Amino acid sequence: MATAVGQKLTVLNPEGYPPEVDARGMAPALETLQGKRVFLVDVGFENSDQFIRQLHGWFEEHEPGIRTEVVRMRDQHQPDPELYGRIAAEGDAAIMGVGT
Amino acid sequence: MIDMESKYGIPTVAVHVHVFARLVDSTARTNGMPRARQAFVPAPMFNQPPAVLRGYIEGDDAVHGGPFMRRVFDLLTEPIPGEDLRGSGWERSTPRLIEPDTEDNLERLFRENHWTDYLPIVLPTEERVEAMLAGTSRGPDEVVGKHRPTIGMELWESTVEKAAVNAVMAGAAPEHFPVILALCASGDTGRQSSMSSMGNMVVVNGPIRNEIGMNSGIGALGPYNHANSAIGRAFGLASQNLQGGSVPGISYGGSQGCNLSYNCCTFAENEERSPFRPFHVHRGYEPEESTVTVFYVWGSVWSEHLRSYWQEKLQAMMSGLEPLEGALLVLDPIVAREFCDRGLDSQEKIAEWVFENVRIPARRYWDHIMLNMVHEQVEAGVEPWASLSKADPDELIPLFQTFGVNVVVTGGETNGHFSIFQGAQMPPAFRSDPTLPLTAPIDPWR
Repeated sequence: MATAVGQKLTVLNPEGYPPEVDARGMAPALETLQGKRVFLVDVGFENSDQFIRQLHGWFEEHEPGIRTEVVRMRDQHQPDPELYGRIAAEGDAAIMGVGT
Repeated sequence: MIDMESKYGIPTVAVHVHVFARLVDSTARTNGMPRARQAFVPAPMFNQPPAVLRGYIEGDDAVHGGPFMRRVFDLLTEPIPGEDLRGSGWERSTPRLIEPDTEDNLERLFRENHWTDYLPIVLPTEERVEAMLAGTSRGPDEVVGKHRPTIGMELWESTVEKAAVNAVMAGAAPEHFPVILALCASGDTGRQSSMSSMGNMVVVNGPIRNEIGMNSGIGALGPYNHANSAIGRAFGLASQNLQGGSVPGISYGGSQGCNLSYNCCTFAENEERSPFRPFHVHRGYEPEESTVTVFYVWGSVWSEHLRSYWQEKLQAMMSGLEPLEGALLVLDPIVAREFCDRGLDSQEKIAEWVFENVRIPARRYWDHIMLNMVHEQVEAGVEPWASLSKADPDELIPLFQTFGVNVVVTGGETNGHFSIFQGAQMPPAFRSDPTLPLTAPIDPWR
């Protein structure tokens, strides 16, 4: 289909249809981490365990007033409701890593 | 971490490597939490000693600057504005038509929107899309499938018309369209986002191969046939556009990328010259059915003929492959017959030979990605992973299970060549719909 110079064409958009975005609220911040229990979550990618272990060591050295516990997600690609439930019941905050 | 915050009410910092900052930002926004708590360390993360990782922790945030740990503390303790406590949701839509413009401007617009593979495209006018739709009995508004760049990302939806738009862009003909629709409905993607930069290999079986003139002879894997080239390119373009993009750093994370992605290495099996059952019959289809199978592949090793030392040669070729991803043997018919002459006269027997004869030390098998990927199965006692995990470090264990070894036959018999690709099909959990068959039927899309 040859078109003359400057002739305007109408074409279709090639993109698919995205899902609606549902609002997801953040959890309120803590006033302080002192005396709190922070779960350090190894998400399971390579070296995440080593990183989380180093993070645990950092807290023990620098912030002994913050209790930390290392846990591991069951599957690096899927949510882990059982673990999340435990953290919600027993913890105050979490640090997850490492997303690669 | 989105769930941890919104469902469980736990303030959570997600730590990422800095190269994924834009991907993380995009994912947070499309999950309705645009300012999710994120902190960044440098890449690489894999294969780094503990001292380097401690350095990351004691260093600066690799995206925002300032001490990494101070950012973590600030994210967890600084008050959150009310709008972030509520989150941010919105409806999205995709317009059917684009504002009319000149050919040059539209070509530029498509490139700038990352809708092409940066080669010239055929602009999808209404007339051309309508002509493409004549290649199927399905209605333009019928839903084809759901799509995403990788597991964990949002699922987009497509219709027959949207697939036709991309088929036109790729230069496909209406008779190619049923194969393209089957690919779009397969739950696979031709633009998988993986740091490992996997590409695709698409194998077509059954009568449609010859009906639309696909090449399974000389140069089958090369740029020598309209159907092979256009179907594969259409699958790639449709994948990136129907799934919401394949943009480096945002929706594509392959460190090096893969040249196979230009046409997803699409070809037909040479069923007429193969001594084996056609691949789709091996998968349970009837010979008169037409199918398409998508493999995810990385590099390949090449050789020719099964000579007197063929067993040693095959062991050497395969033993350097990574355990988890499987192996795809692409054999010229001459080599397929040589396997038969050595007693391996079926795909199953070749897979069993590989299982028995290609072995590596357990310590190498379980290094890095293998253990990460099947950690859950090992913990749950799922075989064979549970038993293999108990092997002594120097014990030789099978590199691949039989289900990880696939064999297809293609080529024009100019000589006895073959390639072994690192790769396999995507496990169901990683596909956009885990219930779909691994080999997809084409006939329902005619």
